[in-house]
Amino acid sequence: MAVAERVTDLNVMVGGQGGDGSLTLVGLVADLLGRRGYHLYESRDVGSRIKGGCAAGLLRASTVPRGCLGDRLDLLVAFDREALERGAPLLRERAWVVHDSSDGPAPRDALPPGATVVEAPFGRLAVRDLRRDLYKNSLAFGVVARVLGLPDGDAEQALRRSLRRLPARLVEANVQALRRGLEHAGEAGLGEGDGWRLADGEAGRRLLLSGNDAVALGFLAAGGRFFAGYPITPATEILDRLLAHLPAFGGTAVQCEDELAAVNMAIGAALTGVRAMTASSGPGIALMQEGIGQLGSAEIGVVVVDCQRAGPSTGMPTKPEQSDLGMLVHGANGDFPRIVLAPADPAECFELTALAVNLAERLQGPVYVALDQAVAQDAVTVDGIDLDAVTVERGKLLGEADLARLGEYRRYSLNGDGDGISPWAPVGACGGCHLVTGNEHDEWGRVSADPGNRVRMVEKRLRKLDALLPGLPRALRAGDPDAEVVLAGFGMNGGVLLEAADALAAAGLPVQVLRLRTLWPVLGELAEAAERSRRVYLVEQNATGQYARVLAGAGLPAAGLESVLRFDGRPFRPAELARAILEREEARA
Amino acid sequence: MNVTRTYEPAAPVWCAGCGHFGVLNALRAVLRDLELPLHEVFVVAGIGCSGSIQNYLGAYGYHALHGRLLPAAAGAALANPELTVIGAGGDGDGYAIGAGHLVHAFRRNVPFTYLLMNNETYGLTKGQRSPGRFVDRDPGEGWVDGALLGLGIPSSTFVARGYSGWPEQLARLLRAAIEHARSGRGFAFLEVVSPCVTYDDTYSRWRHVLHDVDADPGWDATDRAAAFRGAVRLAAEDRLPAGLIFRAPDARPRERPAPASAPLEGEAVRRRLRELAGRYLVDGS
Repeated sequence: MAVAERVTDLNVMVGGQGGDGSLTLVGLVADLLGRRGYHLYESRDVGSRIKGGCAAGLLRASTVPRGCLGDRLDLLVAFDREALERGAPLLRERAWVVHDSSDGPAPRDALPPGATVVEAPFGRLAVRDLRRDLYKNSLAFGVVARVLGLPDGDAEQALRRSLRRLPARLVEANVQALRRGLEHAGEAGLGEGDGWRLADGEAGRRLLLSGNDAVALGFLAAGGRFFAGYPITPATEILDRLLAHLPAFGGTAVQCEDELAAVNMAIGAALTGVRAMTASSGPGIALMQEGIGQLGSAEIGVVVVDCQRAGPSTGMPTKPEQSDLGMLVHGANGDFPRIVLAPADPAECFELTALAVNLAERLQGPVYVALDQAVAQDAVTVDGIDLDAVTVERGKLLGEADLARLGEYRRYSLNGDGDGISPWAPVGACGGCHLVTGNEHDEWGRVSADPGNRVRMVEKRLRKLDALLPGLPRALRAGDPDAEVVLAGFGMNGGVLLEAADALAAAGLPVQVLRLRTLWPVLGELAEAAERSRRVYLVEQNATGQYARVLAGAGLPAAGLESVLRFDGRPFRPAELARAILEREEARA
Repeated sequence: MNVTRTYEPAAPVWCAGCGHFGVLNALRAVLRDLELPLHEVFVVAGIGCSGSIQNYLGAYGYHALHGRLLPAAAGAALANPELTVIGAGGDGDGYAIGAGHLVHAFRRNVPFTYLLMNNETYGLTKGQRSPGRFVDRDPGEGWVDGALLGLGIPSSTFVARGYSGWPEQLARLLRAAIEHARSGRGFAFLEVVSPCVTYDDTYSRWRHVLHDVDADPGWDATDRAAAFRGAVRLAAEDRLPAGLIFRAPDARPRERPAPASAPLEGEAVRRRLRELAGRYLVDGS
């Protein structure tokens, strides 16, 4: 065996056919390393089906937080040839490969010469010794635990924790499989305490949660009490969590018959003064566009979460993209104000969703929280979520006492504070009776096509955003503030930008990083950066540079802005992005 | 009760003789008889000629998107069970563009009233046939019978049909529908045959088409199967049942959460949030 190597940043891939238990095995490794204080980033590479098809779980465990997958795999566990072929190009020189040889040995020429390969027919052994193929991941876990250099007892505890809801008989059978796997590792020369020497992690009480989990928590924390949705990948977990948790908060979640019902149910609820949200992905958001326009015209505050996936149309449901931006910024007929926020990790999903709930009521209009599949579904450790930072701001909501003090109440009053935001009474409030309509209307809410009124109302609605500008989340900056090259992006590319910047600095190209968090309205941060630098690289996960075009529409001069695009359904790895930037810089030199 | 001045109810924009006047009169009478404070009444209207009825009452009114009044009304009723939510829309809204929601309104049985004002035509776009047209229908196109549809969904609880030419029965049915919904028993569907005098004046025909089941001692409105059979039999004779067609005898008031008055913050909320967040702790402690 190789001399024990000290590791601080581990990248693991476990792959096979859906149903092989790859994701369970990744979960076990995450549990073990998470308890040792490692920061985790967990991702999935799966198809859109319940069972079968190539399915892989990816885990990065590191002693410092990393907001993305790393460049190279340290450990590949492959239950079949396809997983081996997919993972092999990513292996680093001295990687470990644990391969299920039930269908023959791993072809060594596809693997780096320095790789250590441990092979066993896990599938066949599971059937032969334990009568069921599905124990093979517990068998393989024995070998993986030895590669990680962990005590056998820790591995067994982790397995028992993960199976604690199963009948004792099944738990024991899996533990037996694990022991058989440990024995096999020993026979292959990999004893307890061999393998890697794991560096100490950072102590801390961390949460491991996905962006969708965090969106649901942020909504609840901000007083969100009504949710309507329709199942769609990759947004479904938001519906699932809120169906499970809203009742304990006195709220209600509804699984609707379609997205048209979802957005309109949220509208009906919001009119009664409840803080309401819906969530979907591109195809569902497209169906909701008429309702989004209604939010704009009738001035109703609802949060709309879009977990973007590869489009157009049904596209690639399980793959990330940032290609709904044109729809979010420009979608629906007519002119009306809206806000688009873009969180990059679960902590920000919590924070920005809670903020969106406040903004929706303050704006009295649609506020999008734009995730992408990676931000939505990748699970990441965060150092807790700050419940104390969440405030409930209800904007110009009128209570019955406020209404009683008014001589008269006009829902769409033009005589407000000049900010275009009219005080609003929720349906049911005594003294606040009014009419709400998406047709153009006068101050009372009566339908009107009077040209003077029309102009005043359109201008009133558009003016509303100005008052909210100071509270919109600014871009986060990192890297070298004096660098002449700016690396900008948002969402799933947030962590990648930071790590690529380190790689670029190491390669002699210092860059500043600008991670946008408000996509609409355009806050001018990129325009400023473009003015003060030689070049801005805007990284987007779409084929046409949708956000670059939004910026151009907002007046950002195209000179000096260069799009770096990817739309193959895969996230950038930091080194890939750094290499792409270096190549472009060299081509210009 | 405060005396804040709010909008003046407008005068109806409908054509003289429009069936919708009968619906409006019945609605005004029932709201008055039930002594409901107007601020607790929420009329969710659709798009079309019927979609202005909310403007004439002085209550809270919402003009929903075409075909979407049902989910909007359901959202309001689910959020605040104290409200008397009355959906009111046309046959284009309920039987064409929004028919999918009608199926699920029956299924979900959220307590609110749905007045489907069936004038058998698209009035605002000048007289196209609607899928709710029964008299003078195109045999090749067929028609949708909301009452039969409702009876066919096992969790439906209230199905009725009125006629704007029969005001007494209409007011009685509307009151029963609103009471059914207000008591929390469920979704109350009341189709009102409300002829369009401009594009499809069928007033002279309806008294012969409609069979008053309230006056029929053989009609058992507590028996879903019998009501279904009766409606199918009438259809075979080119007739439709009018009156209380079916009211589920086992429909009981349900306890419902009130999200609109749920606490947004406070110690109890924080405790629950901390407990929820704790489920994601890496070390499971």
